[in-house]
Amino acid sequence: MSWPERFLAELVRLGVQQARARRLTEDTAAQAAEQACDPGGLFGPPHLYARHLVAELAAPVAAPPRFTQAGPVLLNLTGVGKRYRRRTVFDNVDLTVRGGEVAAVVGANGCGKSTLLRICAGLTRPDAGQVRRTRRVGYVPQDGGTAGWLTADEHFTLFGAAAGVVPRRARSTGAHLAARLAWRPEPAQRAQQLSGGTRQKLNLVLGELHAPDLLLLDEPYQGFDQGTYVDFWRQVHSWRDAGRAVVVVTHLLHDLSTVDHVLDLGEQR
Amino acid sequence: MMPKPWLHGFLDLCLLAMLRERADYGYGLAQRLAAAGVADVPGGTLYPALLRLEEQGLAVPSWAPSESGPRRKYYEITPAGLSVLAEQSAQWARFRSGVDILLAPVGEAQ
Repeated sequence: MSWPERFLAELVRLGVQQARARRLTEDTAAQAAEQACDPGGLFGPPHLYARHLVAELAAPVAAPPRFTQAGPVLLNLTGVGKRYRRRTVFDNVDLTVRGGEVAAVVGANGCGKSTLLRICAGLTRPDAGQVRRTRRVGYVPQDGGTAGWLTADEHFTLFGAAAGVVPRRARSTGAHLAARLAWRPEPAQRAQQLSGGTRQKLNLVLGELHAPDLLLLDEPYQGFDQGTYVDFWRQVHSWRDAGRAVVVVTHLLHDLSTVDHVLDLGEQR
Repeated sequence: MMPKPWLHGFLDLCLLAMLRERADYGYGLAQRLAAAGVADVPGGTLYPALLRLEEQGLAVPSWAPSESGPRRKYYEITPAGLSVLAEQSAQWARFRSGVDILLAPVGEAQ
């Protein structure tokens, strides 16, 4: 495929309507011609420029920068490093996230995004550096974390019990949080019968069930359709506005225009 | 030249200001920014900003032929663009004078 074709295909994949995507592709070709460049030389790889453009177009021109009343520091990494055998996965990672802030962790596959998130959660020990975090933490892994033979309600009860919440309250909280992701769990349905996207919703609800102050989310939208994806980000922003801190591992660059910090692990090396 | 993160906040303002003076196309605007000593703006920064101005109705494009080479997309500022420019110019002035006060050596400030 040529550069414009790949650019167009990526725009469409990112949810831009066909007609608008075609118009943007024509514009982009004309812009390159105007500079007497080929598009790759001017804009770089087509899929990356498509994501960049979508993010830029979503940002309003006149929007004043958002000055949050930053809350207390809920997560602080200083000089954190991790080795795997003799290979340095990352080192010297600093990150501070306060209440009312969202941080995104980005980078290519294999650069240690999930490992870093597990270190934030206290599930993996770093080889170097210091981690300080608030006491109430919710962690949503990329996959797993649910038991296939249990129903959603049983998950709510179990995870609630771990956080000292009585079963009835855990179940009603779970149902309430699920509804915000446009999901109504079927009473008798086991987790293994759920679609991938719905199982991720269950994971998200479980991560949030005990009202943590710090939420750690590892690409939690795998298998979400466009509508659910939008619901998910609305949810992230409502957590933020409620003064919680959120760390999201993501590979979708157009998420980045609405976050407060971007930690690019790919750039570390 | 302006450091990159600064430019990001002020590129829209600079573009609108240049378009108020006269309609122009992408490459022309990039040259004017460079000539003013503001920034060497890469295409990947400039063109999304122009498309955003267009989509938000702050500038309208029209195609015009050029003496040499491909046709060009000229942008003209709209009334909505002018009012955003006025508002942001005022913000910029406040911001700049605030920074100037902070930057002034203590002896001079008194």
